[in-house]
Amino acid sequence: MFLYNFTKLFDWPEKMKSGSFIIQIVGSNPSLTQELNKMATSKQVGNQKLEIKTTTAIDPSIKPHIIYLLNESSDLLKDASSKYKGNGTLIVTEKPGLAKQGAAINFVVADNKQAFEYSKNNAVKGGLKTGDGLNGLAIVVD
Amino acid sequence: MYKEVLTNSKSYRYLKGSIFLLVMIVCSNVFGQTELLFDAQKLCNEKKYEQAIPLLEKVIIDPTTKNDPASWHIRSYAYLQTYKQSGPANTAKIYMLDTAMSSAIKSIQLDTAKSYVENNNAFIKNGAATYYKISTILLQDSLNNVKSEELFLKYKQYTTVVNPSFDFKQKDIEYYNATGGFFADMYMKHNFNQKYGDVAKTALLKVLDIDNKNISANINLGILYYNQGATLMQMMDYDVDLAQLDVIQENAKKLFKQSLPFMIKVYELDPKAERALESLQGIYSALLDEEKANEFKQKKEALKKQ
Repeated sequence: MFLYNFTKLFDWPEKMKSGSFIIQIVGSNPSLTQELNKMATSKQVGNQKLEIKTTTAIDPSIKPHIIYLLNESSDLLKDASSKYKGNGTLIVTEKPGLAKQGAAINFVVADNKQAFEYSKNNAVKGGLKTGDGLNGLAIVVD
Repeated sequence: MYKEVLTNSKSYRYLKGSIFLLVMIVCSNVFGQTELLFDAQKLCNEKKYEQAIPLLEKVIIDPTTKNDPASWHIRSYAYLQTYKQSGPANTAKIYMLDTAMSSAIKSIQLDTAKSYVENNNAFIKNGAATYYKISTILLQDSLNNVKSEELFLKYKQYTTVVNPSFDFKQKDIEYYNATGGFFADMYMKHNFNQKYGDVAKTALLKVLDIDNKNISANINLGILYYNQGATLMQMMDYDVDLAQLDVIQENAKKLFKQSLPFMIKVYELDPKAERALESLQGIYSALLDEEKANEFKQKKEALKKQ
C-alpha cells in the first residue's frame, strides 16, 4: 500500500517511463513479495506494468524504480546509494536511522503503526522529483 | 306490610316467574360450562388436546368457571400438549406455549386450596425448559438472536415462578457464551459482517459481566476484536491514499489494543493456553511490536516441546 502510494508521489525521469515499473526487494519476506505480486496483477504505474523482482543482493542487471532493502539487507544501503545516484531509483529501507544515511524512505514503527521517515534530499539524489505532498504524512528528516 | 302487598300483587307473581327463569338459566349454564370442562378434560385424556381448546376457551370466560383453578389448569395442559404435538421447537406456534404458561400462572393464583400446585409447577417447569431449548435452536437455525434472547428471558421468568431462588449465573454464562461463540463464527464465515460481530461482542461482554475470568468469553472477544482490526487492514484498497491509510491503521490499532486485555487475561488464567500464546503473538505482531510477538512465539514453541 505504501509502496504503491510512493509510485504516485514521486516523479521518475523520462528514461524510466517506459517498460515495466520495477520494484526490487532485496532480502527475504515471502508474505511481502506475495502481496506485491498480487498487487502487480491488478495495478500499474501510469502505462507501465508493475513487476516485482526479489534478489539477495544488488543486481547490476536490474534497473529498479524502487529498491526496497529489507532489514537484513540494510548493509547494502551505501552501495545502493552510490550505484543508483541520479538514476531514478527510490531507495526504501526499514531500519531506524537509515533515512539519514542515504535512504529516501525508511519505514519505522511509531505508536504501534507503520510510519516512514522521508529524506527529500536523498530522493533528489536518486534522480527523483517530488513536491511537498509527503511532508505532512511522513517523519521528515531533512 | 310491604312484603304483604308485594306478595299479593301481580308484580310479585311476575317477578317470581322471572327469578325462577333466571335460576333455571344459571343452573343450566353452570351445568353446561361444567360439562364443557368435563368434556375438555375427557378430550385431553384421549390426547385430543387441540379439540379440547375451543371448549376451554369458553370455560375460561364464563363467569361460573372462569375463577375455577381447574379451568386454567386444564387449559394450560391442553395448550402445552398441543404445542408439543405441533413438532419439536415449533417457533410459529410459540404463542401456544405462552398461553400454557399464563394459564398455569392464573391457575396458581386462583388455587387457594393448592390442589393443582404440583402439576401447575410441573407445567411451568416443562414450559421453561422448552423455552430454553428453542432459544438455543433459534440461534443456530435462524440467526434470530433477538427472538432467541426473548425466549431465554422467558425461560428465566418462568423458572423463577417455580423456583424463586434459582441462581441463573451458570445458565446465563452458558447461553451468552453460546450466542457469542456462534455469532463470532458467523462473523468470520460471512465475510466479517459487522452485524454478527456486534451481536457476538454484546453477548460475550454479558458473560464477562457475570464472570470476568471466563476463558471462553475472553478468548472469543480477543479474537473478535483482533479479526475486526485485521479485516480493516485487509479490506484496504491499493488506491487508498497515505492520509486514509493512517486513519485505517489508527482504527485497526485501536481494535488490536482492545483485543489485547482479553488475551492477556486468558494467558494470566492459563499460561499454558496455546491459543492465547498464539493469539498474543498475532496481536503484538499486528501492533508491530516484534519484540513482544517473539516473546510469545518462543513461549508457544517452548510449550510444544514440553
